Amino acid sequence: MSTPTAARTRSLSVAYRSTPVLRNVDLDVPEGVVLGIVGPNGAGKSTLLKAMLGLVRPLTGTSEFFGRPLSQVRQRVAYMPQSASVDWDFPATVSGVVGMGTYGRLGWLRRPGRTEHEATLRALEHVGIADLAERQIGELSGGQRQRTFLARALAQHPDLLLMDEPFQGVDARSQQAIVAVLHAMRSQGRTVVLVHHDLATVRDYCDHVALLNERLVAAGPVGEAFTRENVRTTYDVTDTDALADLLT
Amino acid sequence: MSFAVGVLLLAIVTAMACALPGVFVVLRRSSMLVDAIGHAVLPGIVIGYALTRDLGSPLLILGAALAGLVVVLGAEWLGRTGLLTGDSPQGLIFPALFAAGVIAVTLNFGNVHLDTHAVLVGDLNLAAFEQWIVGGVSFGPTYLYVMLAVLAGNIAFIAIMYRHLTVTTFDPGFASSIGIRTGAVQTAFMFLVSVTVTAAFHASGAILVLALVVVPAATAHLLSRRLPATLLLAVVIAAGGAAAGFGLAYVLDAATSAGMAVFYGLLFAVALAIVKVRERRRHRQRPTVAGPSSQLPHPHGLHPHRG
Repeated sequence: MSTPTAARTRSLSVAYRSTPVLRNVDLDVPEGVVLGIVGPNGAGKSTLLKAMLGLVRPLTGTSEFFGRPLSQVRQRVAYMPQSASVDWDFPATVSGVVGMGTYGRLGWLRRPGRTEHEATLRALEHVGIADLAERQIGELSGGQRQRTFLARALAQHPDLLLMDEPFQGVDARSQQAIVAVLHAMRSQGRTVVLVHHDLATVRDYCDHVALLNERLVAAGPVGEAFTRENVRTTYDVTDTDALADLLT
Repeated sequence: MSFAVGVLLLAIVTAMACALPGVFVVLRRSSMLVDAIGHAVLPGIVIGYALTRDLGSPLLILGAALAGLVVVLGAEWLGRTGLLTGDSPQGLIFPALFAAGVIAVTLNFGNVHLDTHAVLVGDLNLAAFEQWIVGGVSFGPTYLYVMLAVLAGNIAFIAIMYRHLTVTTFDPGFASSIGIRTGAVQTAFMFLVSVTVTAAFHASGAILVLALVVVPAATAHLLSRRLPATLLLAVVIAAGGAAAGFGLAYVLDAATSAGMAVFYGLLFAVALAIVKVRERRRHRQRPTVAGPSSQLPHPHGLHPHRG
């Protein structure tokens, strides 16, 4: 019928108490793309990811992954939360955190073995922080923290990776390393969805875009959906200079 | 076993049983929840005592622990309504439960022999009073075996649930995303804390139990960088502090739990001072933290007198 979708939402709405955060979002994420979710602060970008994953309960609507409910395909989907959402003073090493990516496959009693250890190591190497494996996580820079989280997600071997603000507080080098990993995933036919706030890099990093401000303003290939008009509507700016500021 | 040795062992085992879950309590930043549980179990204890006539009865401990869980679940439910924020839901529930317990004690409900002093700080000597005697030989206070069972239960729970506890504590959103039922883990853990706090109540009272759960764990957290080390260190600090606190209380003829709590406070202060001094020294040695490592001054270069 059409290209297979990695993720799909239908009339997804979320409210915190009586304040609506998302209204009737119908989003299709095709397989094998890097899709950026952009929109102003408070537009519900992070909430969209969380609602898709069932971390916040939607008021209405459904989400599915690869045509199935999440519970049936959980092993194929990885989530990378904002790094600011955890306590980095937690007594753990980088490899300990990355190893958490293998827990989903382990179940209750099976202990991490050789396979898990190797998956952890490969993920560390893939994002270029193998030398930090035994470092305490509190000693990491912002970019190293994000790469640790990315490695944890890679250790899950996901076909779809949902990332919340992966470039927040990240130095240029880490940003390049993360983008390289995302593009490598895409070339293997895997799918990436990232919440992004820097409109200037959308064209470089993403091939699809979803413009969100409570409602989904537009979604599709960057060339079609990422127009000045759509950005203007999403960010509610009327003035041309302000629009130019946003886009550079 | 002599009476004093029995009390000492009871203090040590109680402290270890409290410190182990205390590590996760500290890492989850729910210390105040323990305070709330410590207070909320009182009516459960009074009613349980009226029914069982035995403060060490496992039935009483489980029943009262359920009352403690009322605070945890009730506070979560109130928090979800969105009408109250922060920890105020806890503050709404536990004083009422504690007060109900205090009234029950004052009214001498079911002839419960608990005085308010024992409710606040506990009484280890009283707890150790009932001895387990087989064939004329004393095997120490029966309550010691209750606390040993609680300690064993805590060790078993943490060993089995180690990965689940760790990942839900560090990153609950991620834990849910890989299919771990974060809420169920949290409730099971809080029930364990509730059982521990109830069992330790006899020895430490409603207020000082917080010190037994939180302070050794917080001290260990300051001094260690890996979770297994934190757990081990917390248990060692708990045992050492219990012995020292017992000695202090013995010499001063004060409540043992108070001696322990004071000693834990001192240990924490010392640990904090060590960490601060170490941090300052590290900063002095590395003035250009942000720079590339090749430009770092050689550590010995700053201290030529050291050779």
